[in-house]
Amino acid sequence: MWETLGNLGAGFAASLEPLNFLMILAGLAIGIVAGALPGITMLNSIVLVLPFTYLMGIVPSLLLMTSIYIGGVFGGSITGILFNIPGDPMNVPTTWEGYQLNKKGQVRLALGMAIMASAIGGFLSALILTFASPPFAKVALTFSTVEYFAVVLLGLASVVVIGQVSIAGALISLFAGMFLGTIGTEAQYGITRFAFGVNFLETGVDFVTVLIGLFAIGEVLDQLSAVKGPAGGDAATPATARAQLPSPRQLWALRGSILRGLGTGVVIGAIPGTGATVASFVSYGLEKQVSKHPERFGTGVLEGLTASETSVNASTGGAMIPLLTLGIPGSGATAVMMGAFLLHGVQPGPLLFSKSPHEVYTIFVGMLLANLIMIVMGLIAARCFAQLMKVPEPILAAFIIAFCFLGAYALRNDMSDVWMTMLFGVLGFFMRRYNLPIPPLILGIILGPLAEQYFLTSMVSHGNDVTVFFTRPVSAAVLLTTVGLLVWPALRWRFGRRRAYEVKKA
Amino acid sequence: MRSLRGAIGPALILVAAAGLFVAAGRLPVVPVPGQLGPDFWPRLVLIGLMGSCVLKLLEVARAREPAAEGGPSLPLAVPKLATGMALVLGYPALAPLLGFPLTNVLFLLAFMRLVGMRRPLPLVVTAVLGTVALLYVFVKVVYLPLPKGAGVMEDFTIFLYRLLRIF
Repeated sequence: MWETLGNLGAGFAASLEPLNFLMILAGLAIGIVAGALPGITMLNSIVLVLPFTYLMGIVPSLLLMTSIYIGGVFGGSITGILFNIPGDPMNVPTTWEGYQLNKKGQVRLALGMAIMASAIGGFLSALILTFASPPFAKVALTFSTVEYFAVVLLGLASVVVIGQVSIAGALISLFAGMFLGTIGTEAQYGITRFAFGVNFLETGVDFVTVLIGLFAIGEVLDQLSAVKGPAGGDAATPATARAQLPSPRQLWALRGSILRGLGTGVVIGAIPGTGATVASFVSYGLEKQVSKHPERFGTGVLEGLTASETSVNASTGGAMIPLLTLGIPGSGATAVMMGAFLLHGVQPGPLLFSKSPHEVYTIFVGMLLANLIMIVMGLIAARCFAQLMKVPEPILAAFIIAFCFLGAYALRNDMSDVWMTMLFGVLGFFMRRYNLPIPPLILGIILGPLAEQYFLTSMVSHGNDVTVFFTRPVSAAVLLTTVGLLVWPALRWRFGRRRAYEVKKA
Repeated sequence: MRSLRGAIGPALILVAAAGLFVAAGRLPVVPVPGQLGPDFWPRLVLIGLMGSCVLKLLEVARAREPAAEGGPSLPLAVPKLATGMALVLGYPALAPLLGFPLTNVLFLLAFMRLVGMRRPLPLVVTAVLGTVALLYVFVKVVYLPLPKGAGVMEDFTIFLYRLLRIF
């Protein structure tokens, strides 16, 4: 406890260093703007800054990215409330209630409540992360490669949750990513796999080029390809909008919604493969179920907005727990952050807490600070956003691609990385069109090589005896959870079909 | 018809995965007793990929409402998309020849025009000033050795850098 507090003090001092503090402010600003602009997701913006973090140390890099994450998950609620345009899918439940509140003339309260709920959810989840992670990491230190393989397998199996459209599509995407992870020089024997004589493939496919291409360029091409219908509607689009922070009494009245949103956000965020979108929909649904007036949901109910907004930001702290303690990214955003760790030669996992406590606690404090500063930034953003929304789409789209070019080139000063990025961009477009989810591919390319390494090492250590994965208790429990994760959607699908059939029959 | 279109992607991936599976068997392996070879893991992954493709093909075949699962359902602006893809792929192709500054101006002009920016003056001003800003940040501040072009274009890029006082 005292050790944790001491580390927190040191982390607090470090996060107030000019560069680190600047990164928190810059990250929040980028995140809020990117999250709010439809078409640029929070994830895209984290991906776009990733190559530029080469120039910084690990701490400012991670502070920049976590602040983008925190600002980004909140940002989309501003445009959702103001214009009925959620910046990200995770902001959809907020939009359902927030925009209705706007139409009722309560836009200031809706914006203020969204800001406060996000800040409270994010701050408390960062506190939970701070105090829950070290003991969890101590347990994780007793793991061998057998347990790690089981945990990585659990992370890979989470695609059934990520790929909600089609499990088969998600699996194709996952295995394709895992295959991309096998390209290049293999560690155990030192032979080159699947390079087919292409020089730059011998060093493997850089996952940063895959990330930038699939997410950023694929998204631009997807928007470009859309046949645009008539724009507009009856949305109330105030030229300027000021948020009014709720009074302590109003917040106290909504304490149940805040706590439920916090619990849902942290737990769902910590489950690999879920993230803020699932958290926001689950917490909104839960709030509707516990409400005495569920029929009012969708007409501008503050409880619905508060719960979903709290859970979205609470998921940020939750998602960092498996990343920092096990080295397993729990969401697309944390997968990119894992990339940032690896770019700086730091392996996230339990050893991180003993090897780099300074860095870890600076990130924790940075997250706490970012959530507090977000209250001020959110108020400013709400005022300015009507103007920022006017950035023309052509400028935005063209400059995103220019930044992708520069970001990919900056990796190794090599045009082959730019080519890879652009080609993966085209692939990203087709994946979107053919309903192949992209996050499983990212999960595959990052976790695939880890799974191979842990599996082969376990096999060497245990004489190719695969039963070792089932005889060690932690590994067996994790594998059982993995089986549950895989079987549950199939059962749900089966029962869903039966219910639909019975309804049809009736 | 739409079901058939939805099956093309998984079918192509299935064929590619089968080809790669065969290629994995030809890896120059010197087997170490008691150890799995370097082809073991890729083959396992490719079996998973082929299995998933089969699953997807079955899903497409069984889908009663093809629009939901069978493939793309939203209308496509094909000429615009094709031009966009050509620009995205032409950008890295031209940069080593023309140099980053000129390629970037041309790319920004073409792409912004394609997305819908019509008025020539803002188009040119944004493309030129945007490129100058990028050059300042990435060449002057970050020291990124961006492609200068080939032959006379390299001289032009260096001249431009000197003019902007970033070289």
